[in-house]
Amino acid sequence: MPPDDPSRGGTRALPRLLIVLAAALLVARVATGFFERPPVASGVERVTWEPVAAGEAKSQATGTPLLYEFSAEWCGPCRLMQHEVFDDAEAAAMINRLYVPVRLVDRQREEGRNPPDVAALQARYRIEAFPTLVIVAPGASSPTVIEGYPGKTALVRQLEETAARLKLSRGLGH
Amino acid sequence: MNQALLVAFWRQRLASPVRVTILALAVLGPALLAGNVRGIGLAPLGDAYPLALLFAVGMIGQDVSSGVLQLVLARPVTRAEYVIHRWLGAAIAASAASLVQIGLTWAMMAAHGDSPGAATIGGFAAMRELQIFGVTATMALFSSLMNGVADLALYAMVFLSGGVLGTIGQLRHSQVLIRAGEEIVALVSPKVDVAAFASAAPPWQALAMWGSNLTLCLVLAIVVMNRKELSYAAG
Repeated sequence: MPPDDPSRGGTRALPRLLIVLAAALLVARVATGFFERPPVASGVERVTWEPVAAGEAKSQATGTPLLYEFSAEWCGPCRLMQHEVFDDAEAAAMINRLYVPVRLVDRQREEGRNPPDVAALQARYRIEAFPTLVIVAPGASSPTVIEGYPGKTALVRQLEETAARLKLSRGLGH
Repeated sequence: MNQALLVAFWRQRLASPVRVTILALAVLGPALLAGNVRGIGLAPLGDAYPLALLFAVGMIGQDVSSGVLQLVLARPVTRAEYVIHRWLGAAIAASAASLVQIGLTWAMMAAHGDSPGAATIGGFAAMRELQIFGVTATMALFSSLMNGVADLALYAMVFLSGGVLGTIGQLRHSQVLIRAGEEIVALVSPKVDVAAFASAAPPWQALAMWGSNLTLCLVLAIVVMNRKELSYAAG
């Protein structure tokens, strides 16, 4: 095997700086994972969640799209989305302005079954993962589905763009 | 920094007409769509993995299978230098393609009076840069393990297995499986929400995970290369 010392002509020297950096970042990764767990909800709801029936009636009356949020208490990404998006004043204001938000929390794991309205909507939109956001415009044939939490920036952008697209298609009479 | 290694890599990558054609389509297609359809924003540009993969696939494995690596290492270049320059070469080239794509899109959107703010564009570009540097480091490891362009198959397999594991975790309500799936997906498709650093809860964990995956992949790629027997007699 050739010598490891590059000054002696070897080609197999390991870059010490890179190894130290990799070790430091591994420590940082573990530490931040420990200290930066997705926090529980703050308790103050900035998004005005509507009950299912009231939300659907409001959407029909005002022509505002419905935003169903399917989540579960055991779901980590749901808590992260709650903290980063729904607890954020600006994002919550945007959601309240552009949508009629309706939250549907899965209770299958805790209680063995879901409330009838949650079960019916989960079946209708074929919900298989949490969180899933379903946007339904009054009179529209197909819903927009956002499965998983893509990060705050991407989600806010997607919600704004979907609302703009739906508004545009309503204006065109589709 | 060994410029000769970088230039040689870029020449090798751009010598393939198929790769250049796909690159042009991958850059211009989404840019034309996003720049000319109002209201859809930057969504058609999506993630930067396709651009990163275009440059990164076979970055080391092709040299191993073609026998070029023995010639490169006959020069005063260590294996670590070789790996790091292959990674840098792929990452810099994909970054340039990504920035050209974003610049074109922005210019077309501005021409229609529909361009997003500089902060949005900057955050989007930075997020894609992190993706590119992360994915190319992962591909450096995969390419050191697989000859030719078989690293692409390994990438697809790992990507799928991460998704399947996450889905099983969701169906079984298992936090452990969901987390395992997320870790695997973060390796092959890292995502750091750069804009969130301006918020009250900066995503430090995502950044640390990205940096840790990147450096670990490079270290492992170097270790794999150091253990490779490259003499012609070994073949």
